[in-house]
Amino acid sequence: MNYALDKNVISLRDINKTYPGVVPLHVLKDISLDIRKGELVSIMGASGSGKSTLLNILGILDSYDSGSYTLDGVLIKDLSENRAAELRNRMIGFVFQSFNLINYKNALENVALPLFYQGVGRKKRNALAMEQLERMGLADRAHHLPGELSGGQKQRVAIARALVTKPSLILADEPTGALDSKTSKEVMQVFRDLNDTGMTIVIVTHDPTVGAATDRIIRIIDGRIQS
Amino acid sequence: MFDLFREISQTIKNNRLRTILTGIAVAWGIFMLIVLLGAARGVVNNYENESSNSSVNSIRLWSGTTSMPYKGYKDGRWIRLRDKDMDAVSGEVDAVSEVAISTSASGFNIVGPKDYVSGGFEAVYPDEARTQRITRIEGRFINQKDIEDHRRVMVVSRDNAALLFGDAEKALGQEVKAMDLSWKVVGVYTHRWRKDSFVPYTTYKAITGGDGYVDEMTVRVEGITTDIEAEETESQVRSVLARRHEFDPADTNAVWIWNQFANFLKQGQAMVYLNLAVWIIGILTLLTGIVGVSNIMFVSVRERVHEIGIRRAIGAKPKSIIIQILAESVAITALFGYIGLVAGMALLELLKPLLEDQAGFSNPTVDIAIAVQVTLALIVAGAIAGLFPAIKATKVKPVEALRDE
Repeated sequence: MNYALDKNVISLRDINKTYPGVVPLHVLKDISLDIRKGELVSIMGASGSGKSTLLNILGILDSYDSGSYTLDGVLIKDLSENRAAELRNRMIGFVFQSFNLINYKNALENVALPLFYQGVGRKKRNALAMEQLERMGLADRAHHLPGELSGGQKQRVAIARALVTKPSLILADEPTGALDSKTSKEVMQVFRDLNDTGMTIVIVTHDPTVGAATDRIIRIIDGRIQS
Repeated sequence: MFDLFREISQTIKNNRLRTILTGIAVAWGIFMLIVLLGAARGVVNNYENESSNSSVNSIRLWSGTTSMPYKGYKDGRWIRLRDKDMDAVSGEVDAVSEVAISTSASGFNIVGPKDYVSGGFEAVYPDEARTQRITRIEGRFINQKDIEDHRRVMVVSRDNAALLFGDAEKALGQEVKAMDLSWKVVGVYTHRWRKDSFVPYTTYKAITGGDGYVDEMTVRVEGITTDIEAEETESQVRSVLARRHEFDPADTNAVWIWNQFANFLKQGQAMVYLNLAVWIIGILTLLTGIVGVSNIMFVSVRERVHEIGIRRAIGAKPKSIIIQILAESVAITALFGYIGLVAGMALLELLKPLLEDQAGFSNPTVDIAIAVQVTLALIVAGAIAGLFPAIKATKVKPVEALRDE
């Protein structure tokens, strides 16, 4: 591992990403960005601005062509699939717009799943998962299937799943996109509360209200950071 | 391992229709293969039983009528076999090791202390036992001494012995009446279908002052391995008889010949082909099952791309995805393969009493070792069938998989 000495959780330097094709699409252009530990940051931009691509790179879900990306001191470059999976599992908690829960697993099993891939035993992972569900106020919904939960409850289950491995970073992709305004506010409050405990959170959104609720807004226009 | 089983049972429960469709394809493949193998085994068993119940290396001859004019004789002449033909055939045809003649005597009953049987008896030579494959015998068959001394002895079937004496065990050494004479029972035989009673040919001829005409001659051959050689021997036997009875050696109607040995060789070859055909059909059926499993596995993986994307986003390594899909496919093929195996064997068991002695079937069962091997082959095939879609599933980038809704 290549540990850096700064306190940045995320450090991007001159990141470029082009999607090949008949007409290659240069999506990210010389992106440089630092996000410090404990920050609550939003990345905003219009559709097609490159914000989702940036999120995928931050989440080690996609690769970049040039530049460098350091996540909590680990250089994220040219990783094997296994190494990428291991880093995603240990360092990043994902929260998606459409929750991405597995519909035939109950809330507890969904939350415990990242621990299954760490090889944690069933008893321990269920205890840790229950801890996170309690934190989200969903202990009484632990044995309910996603189909039996409201949108806000599903998203809180997803947040509990993101937290269960105690990651360095929470990456949320339009986390309130599928929710009504009241539930959106509740979910944003959850993020704020988590941030108050020192968790670093990056939220990709096009919703100005969500952006306003974060400490810092990073705007992307046409693949470049504007502010 | 327990977690893996839990994962498998959850995904199987969640995809019941897909699992059932895959399962039916697998179970049907195994079921058909077992039934086909069982049916073929039944035919082969039947053939082997038939072969063991009659002398397969023999040529049987009966009197016939000429169909060709020959040396001044017109066609339509009745050629009757005579006991003296026996020595001629035996002496002149190299491949012949033994000749037995027999003639039926009918029109009287054989009467025992308890009951009687109608239909008379067969007057035979000792070789008849061997040519007719009468091997399971208590006491003895007609022997050379009986022939030489014109003894009044009789060999009866077990069924007839039971009828004549009330109990087959009591028959040996006892006497029966036939043609107004007493005959001593010296042998009781068991045969799948024969029930005839046998007496020495010479005794019968002495009693009746017979004319030497016989109904049937059985020629036993040795040292022959091909149907061409068997047919050559048949032709030599016909030539000897043609010379003695003055008919055209090419006239196949003058003496009726059933070349059991040539038939045996041809049928033996046919059985080999039948076995081969059954295996080919079975393997093709199995392949159909495997292709079905592969197809459904591909579809299943395609259906689950999004779920696989979620799993990979939260840290599943490609290896764990492959193991899970493989384990699922093995579990499905093993479970349903076993169901097909049991169903196939149950059907054979069910049909066994119905098919026994009918339609050329005998004991239509499948060797359990073969059945297990076939099922194991299907499980391995199921694993291979699951492997390709599993590898394909891990080739999809997590980000693309997550987009797949």
